[in-house]
Amino acid sequence: MDDVDLAIRGLTYAWFVEHGEAPTAQELAAHAHHPVAEIRAAWWRLHEDHALVLLPGSGEIQMANPFSALPTPYKVEAGGRSWYGSCAWDALGICAALRVDGTITTTCPDCDDPIEVAVRNHAPDDPTLLFHCLVPAAHWWDDIAFT
Amino acid sequence: MNLFRSEEHITRWLEGRTPGATISVTTLCDLAHQWWSDRLDPDWQPHTRAENQTILDTLGLVGSFWTLP
Repeated sequence: MDDVDLAIRGLTYAWFVEHGEAPTAQELAAHAHHPVAEIRAAWWRLHEDHALVLLPGSGEIQMANPFSALPTPYKVEAGGRSWYGSCAWDALGICAALRVDGTITTTCPDCDDPIEVAVRNHAPDDPTLLFHCLVPAAHWWDDIAFT
Repeated sequence: MNLFRSEEHITRWLEGRTPGATISVTTLCDLAHQWWSDRLDPDWQPHTRAENQTILDTLGLVGSFWTLP
């Protein structure tokens, strides 16, 4: 991962933080004054290194973990703004990455009841909740969207 | 990687599939903090496998399920 790729990665993440959604390759190219082909090439290398995830076929961003470009069941609200995490771990990771307190809203995958957890100083307000990880760590990147 | 209210909900949701691992949301918060808190740092560098494994190990997430490739 060279300095150019790290710089484009940094701009991608900064866009996520500011806008609450992923940039398109065209948007980031215009913002960064880079040819769009360079953005796409850097994103592909970052994808190969598991530093972000591209949508199959489109070359656009699917995830810049912990941020998700697509709406998910894990919405994060912090400081009057909102983002989506790809899963519960990522949703809590958004608060960690932003270094802010926040609230994660989701629904129980079993019964669809709403679940809300507020995070203050890295601790949840409801410690009785459980997190289930179905896929073993050795296989997380076999299909990261499923994981 | 989902949140549930209880083990009963997890068991029902699994519908007979092999369970993975269940941890408290408190441990998950600690894991999220250690795993993601540097993600927006200007000088961010990718974690090595060893660094990530150490995060899991120090939280007691050990054994074959939590062993990174």
